Amino acid sequence: MTDMVCVGAIAGSFGVRGEVRLKSFTADAEAIADYSPLATEDGSQTFTVTLTRVIKNGLAARLSGIETKEQADEMKGMKLFVPRDRLPDPDEDEFYHADLIGLEVRDTGGTLLGRVKSVQNHGAGDLLELHGPGLKNTVLLPFTKEIVPTVDLASGRLVVDPPEGLL
Amino acid sequence: MSRSVWKGPFVDAYVLKKAEAARESGRQNDVIKIWSRRSTILPQFVGLTFGVYNGQKHIPVSVTEDMIGQKFGEYSPTRTYYGHAADKKAKRK
Repeated sequence: MTDMVCVGAIAGSFGVRGEVRLKSFTADAEAIADYSPLATEDGSQTFTVTLTRVIKNGLAARLSGIETKEQADEMKGMKLFVPRDRLPDPDEDEFYHADLIGLEVRDTGGTLLGRVKSVQNHGAGDLLELHGPGLKNTVLLPFTKEIVPTVDLASGRLVVDPPEGLL
Repeated sequence: MSRSVWKGPFVDAYVLKKAEAARESGRQNDVIKIWSRRSTILPQFVGLTFGVYNGQKHIPVSVTEDMIGQKFGEYSPTRTYYGHAADKKAKRK
């Protein structure tokens, strides 16, 4: 589990009055302001975010301490993070992608299969992308109770029971 | 131009055969590997999991009722885009 979660990035300045062009990575783009204040990756700077309008390819926002276009220009490319504990608790059987990525994956016999590389959803349910030393390519596993009976975030591991022929 | 109704939905015959065999064997959790992205999802496929080929690998597609009438290929993208995890959630069904 990671301590800091990346929720957005600054794509450059917007206008001449110190606003920035913000790219939001959250499920609901405008929810990025709800996690304010946002920090840089090393936590050295924090910003309060106020969204001003929706623009093409993102949002326009005003960040605390950024008053001029020059300051906004300097921030281009900066990623914005939020501490993991500030995200609201998910419902039962719901998990944040950020929590699942990197978990160790073992089969029901305890053999290590690999780690979760990403979580995907193409419209037919969530899929865990598994990457392991014994696997030639990554493998996608449906995220269901039958195939993934145990999710143990505390010990950082998943137990999977993949159907025959999938691995 | 849309397909004539009198023809019925298009499905490759081997997909129907494989689905029927999976149902009869009772192993509904097994992934049925198919290459036919053009086949329509039929009501008898609900509850089965198909591995739909995207040109590189088979993407697992668990068929639900609201997918009936769509094509298998719609659920198996051919281009990779990961995006960011941020606050996105996955639900275990």
